Order: sequence, then C-alpha cells, then structure tokens
Amino acid sequence: MSEQNETATTPTCWDATLAFWLLRGWLGLRAVMTGLEKYAQMGKVMKPWVDPKTGAADPGGAMVEASQKVYALANYSPIPQSMQDKFAAEPLLPAVMLKIFYVLLGPALILLGVMLWLGIGTRVSLFVQGLLYIMLTAGLIMIKADDGVAWLAIHIVMIAMALVLAKHNQLCILKKW
Amino acid sequence: MASEFDFSRRGFLTTAMAAGAGLALQSSAADMAPAKTPPSNRIRYALIGCGEEGNVLLDALLKIEGIEIAAICDIWKYARDRVQKGLKKNNNLEIPAYENFEEMLATEKDLQAVVVATPDFWHAPISNGCLKKGLHVYCEKMMSNTMEGARSMVKTMQETGKLLQIGHQRRSSPRYRFVLNYLLRDLKLFGRMTAANAQWNRAVTPDRGAAKAITMKPELLAKYGYEDMYKFRNWRWFKKYGGGPLSDLGAHQIDIFNWFLGVMPTSVTASGGVDYYKEHEWFDNAMCIYEFKLPEGAMRAFYQVQTTTSAGGGYWEYFMGDQGSIKMSENPSITQLFREANAPDWGEYIQKNYLMLKNVPAVEEVKVDVRESKPLQAYALPVGFNKAIHQPHLENFFNAVRGKEKLNCPADEAFRSESVIHKACEAITAKRTLEITPADYEV
Repeated sequence: MSEQNETATTPTCWDATLAFWLLRGWLGLRAVMTGLEKYAQMGKVMKPWVDPKTGAADPGGAMVEASQKVYALANYSPIPQSMQDKFAAEPLLPAVMLKIFYVLLGPALILLGVMLWLGIGTRVSLFVQGLLYIMLTAGLIMIKADDGVAWLAIHIVMIAMALVLAKHNQLCILKKW
Repeated sequence: MASEFDFSRRGFLTTAMAAGAGLALQSSAADMAPAKTPPSNRIRYALIGCGEEGNVLLDALLKIEGIEIAAICDIWKYARDRVQKGLKKNNNLEIPAYENFEEMLATEKDLQAVVVATPDFWHAPISNGCLKKGLHVYCEKMMSNTMEGARSMVKTMQETGKLLQIGHQRRSSPRYRFVLNYLLRDLKLFGRMTAANAQWNRAVTPDRGAAKAITMKPELLAKYGYEDMYKFRNWRWFKKYGGGPLSDLGAHQIDIFNWFLGVMPTSVTASGGVDYYKEHEWFDNAMCIYEFKLPEGAMRAFYQVQTTTSAGGGYWEYFMGDQGSIKMSENPSITQLFREANAPDWGEYIQKNYLMLKNVPAVEEVKVDVRESKPLQAYALPVGFNKAIHQPHLENFFNAVRGKEKLNCPADEAFRSESVIHKACEAITAKRTLEITPADYEV
C-alpha cells in the first residue's frame, strides 16, 4: 500500500497510535541513552573546599577532589573491557568484525534512537536497531551470558510490537520507510 | 583536574544533538572558555633570568589569565634564545630579548611588572632598579646573598611604594594556607606545639658545565660580575653569587617555621661544612636548631639540608604538638597527619572535610621496646589545587598589582626569614649558638 493510500484509507486509531508513541519513545530513549553512556566515565574533578563554619568556598583557593561523571569522545567504550576480552576469545567472532562492530555500536545507537524520536524512516530504524540487538545476542549466547540474552529478547519483542504498530504512526518527519 | 573534553551542560546537549544528527561529537569550546581580559586591561611584564627557575616561573606565568609577557632578559644568549624560540614555537609569541635589564627598561616603556629569576647577587640591583623605574617586582628567593642587599630591597620597596613580592611560593599555596588558617589557627588541631623539623636531602649532583659553542666570553662574564663560566653555571655554591644550600633549599622551609608558628626564633645553633665537594665554597651539608618562644612555652625547630644523599627522597616540614602532628610537604603524597592517642577524636573533622583517613598498608604491630608509643592512624589533607606549583603565588602578585589582594609575601615579611637564614650561616662559621633579636630583622 502506498503512503498516500495508507493515509487515505486507514482511519486514525488513537489507541494504537498512543501505544506506538510509547514504544517509540521508550525504544528511542533506550538507544540514545545507551549510546551516550558509552562516552561516559567517572572522572576526578576539583571543586572548591567549603568552610563548614561559613558555608563559603575557601578564599585561599583550596580544592577538593570529587568524583564526577564526564562525557567525552575520548571516553568511548563500546562494551565493558571484560566482555570484550571474552568476545576476543571466541573463535566464531572474527577480530575484524568485532572491531567494526565496536566502532559503530555507540554512534549507531545514538543515530537510530534520534531517527526513531524524530520519525525519520521509523521502520528502518526499528529494524536496524533490532539487528544490532540480534548481533549482541549472538555474542552473549557464545559467552553464556543468559540473563543478557533474556534482556535483549525483551527488546526484540518490543521492537517487533513497534513494527506491527508502525502503520499508526503520527507526528513524523519522514513517514516513508 | 577537569579534562579538556569535559562537557558543560550546554556543551553536552549541543554535542549530543550533533552526535545524533551526524555521528560527530564536538565539544563547544567557545561556550566553555573563560572570558578573556581585553588587551587594554592586561598587565605587561618582563621575565629577567631565563635559567632553570625562570623557565619554571614562565611555565606558570603563561597559564595566568590577564597578563602578557612583553620581553625577556638574560645575559646568556643561549638561555634567552631558547626561551625566545620556545615562546614563538609553543605560544606563537614574538617577544624581544635583551641581554641587559637596564637596556630593556629603557626600551620597553609600557611594562608594569617584572619577574626576577637571576642568581641571588643580582636580585637587589635588578629589583631596586625596576622598583625605582616604577615597576612592581616579583623576585625569587633568596632576596640576596647579603643582608645589605636584602635590606636595600625592603627600603626601596618602602620608598617607591611599589610592590615587591618574594618567591616563597608556599605562602600562597592553597594547601599550606588551609593548614595554617583552619587546622592550626581555627581548630588548634595539634594542641601545644612542642617541636618541629624540616629537611631537604638531595642526592649528589655533578657540577654544571657548558659546551664551548655556548660558553660566554670572559669579557661578558666579567661585565656581569662572574669570574668564569664554571662559576656562572654553578653560582649557587659560591658566596659571591648565592647563599648556599641553606638558602637555596632551606629558605622556603625555614620561612614556614616562622610563618606557621607566628613568631620569630630567638636563637640558632648550627653546624655544617664543605666536606664533600672540594671545589665549592658553601656548606654542602648543614644542620641547625632554632629556638622559638611561643606564648605556651619554648620549642625548638631542627632543619637539615644534605646535598650528598637523597636518603629515600622527599622534603617536608614536620610540626609536632601534644595533640597531633603534621608532616607537611609541597608533595601531597608525602603529607600526612597523626592524632595522638590521648587527643580528642578527629571523627568530626573528617565529617566536616577538614581531614580524611589515609590508607596505609597494614603492618604487623611489633613492639621492640616497652617505651615505644602505640602506632597512630594516619590522616591526609583532603585539599589540593590544580595549578602549577608557583602559579598561586604569581597570581597573588598580579592580583595585588590590580589592587584586588594583598601580597602574601612582601619583601619586609620575607626579610625576617632571610635574616634568620643568614644568622644560621653565621652560627655555622662561628661554631656557637647565636641569639636572634628584633634588631636582626629590622630594616
């Protein structure tokens, strides 16, 4: 069915539309935040020492070290190092493929999540997101991380539900695809 | 220290959007940069002395906002060329370089301040000359290799009304100021102070030389008061040019005795000698004991400097009271505090972030003598600062030039410490205890 026909012949079902928006919002958030978190690290920062008597910062310039989450390109870590080590030991996971996957994972999640939020190629973004999760699932099966597999299975079910409801999509920039 | 990649909230959102749209994360540097001081409000200064200490100071100076290096000066072409080229290459600054400071002052009319890092015997002539020209001066310690020289600097500062900061950088260190203002004065954490010691042990260091190609001509050396290139390169060891290890290394630390205790010593007993380096004039080792009369009673402070052994390394000033002690050092990893077993609990101070527990490796408690005191829990200072070691003192100087702060170590204050260091050298030569009276540090 063409886009024009779909719009013309399918009356708006608000229950389905609202359900899709919820899925779209959650899956988009999940992808964007997961992608951004791959650029985060806990770092040490210096903050002014505060005099407990006056509540004011020390005029002498004394600083105290505090932990603070820092986002930076240099912090990029696609998956925890312990997991990377396990994947590297798997004969069915070629090193070159792993390298490409690691490079793409964070940026791809951010891109797909933003596409989903904005409604740019919603079906494509959902499907590719699903493929990413399948690839991750394959790795987790090999290293016997069963709880992670179950976790990703829930994501796949939600993506499948979203794809089924995608025809009820409203408020999107590019409805095609 | 914050990473150059740290995101501000605004910068982070900008970057996140950029990432989502085009897989390109870019930090918003313009949003995060501090406001720049307009050129018209910047303080223009010159660096006189481009040797080792001059380079350390320059490194800190270049990090300070609102000041601008206008010229450099050194009698040794090799040293001034190296700094001049470094400024061009690393900072894209084209700065004129002078051999003679008077020529520099005559040419550079818009200078407001100078930073002096020459050998000690030039401190007084240069500082006095610059003060008289209306410039504010930051001069490295020792003020001078002679009391007369140091005294003349204080007098010139007072006569001209210009600022003269002496480079005892610990006086502006946020860590030292924290200990003095909060732990010693406010909390009186260590109880009655009963003893102090400080030391700087340094390993054997060969004398410095210079390749023939960069050796200065005898006429040039003579023009600036040097007998030869060897003495120029190793000036710290000769009485005509410097004050010896007690001055080079001890000056900072003996100054901390006076500053932390808040009184001047009343006598000094000292011993030392030229026992290892036969070519040198100044003592290569010295030990001295200053006696202080505090309102609570007398106490003594021992200082030792060695240039023949590092003895495990590290340098510190150790203040010991009947309630606790602090081993203070510019090196935070050396600094630690101890609470005496009979002292009130320090838990409250940990809660309030004055102190923190120091993790020390567990050792088996073995008592080899029944009179041995129980080992104490070590504490650490929670504070530090993320700047070059000399930067806060230089910032204090330039803020004082702007009228925003008072100098942390004006020449008249530094002169007091200067006098008791010269007195220790006298005591070594005299081989007896010398009284120290207010007349000794009167200008």
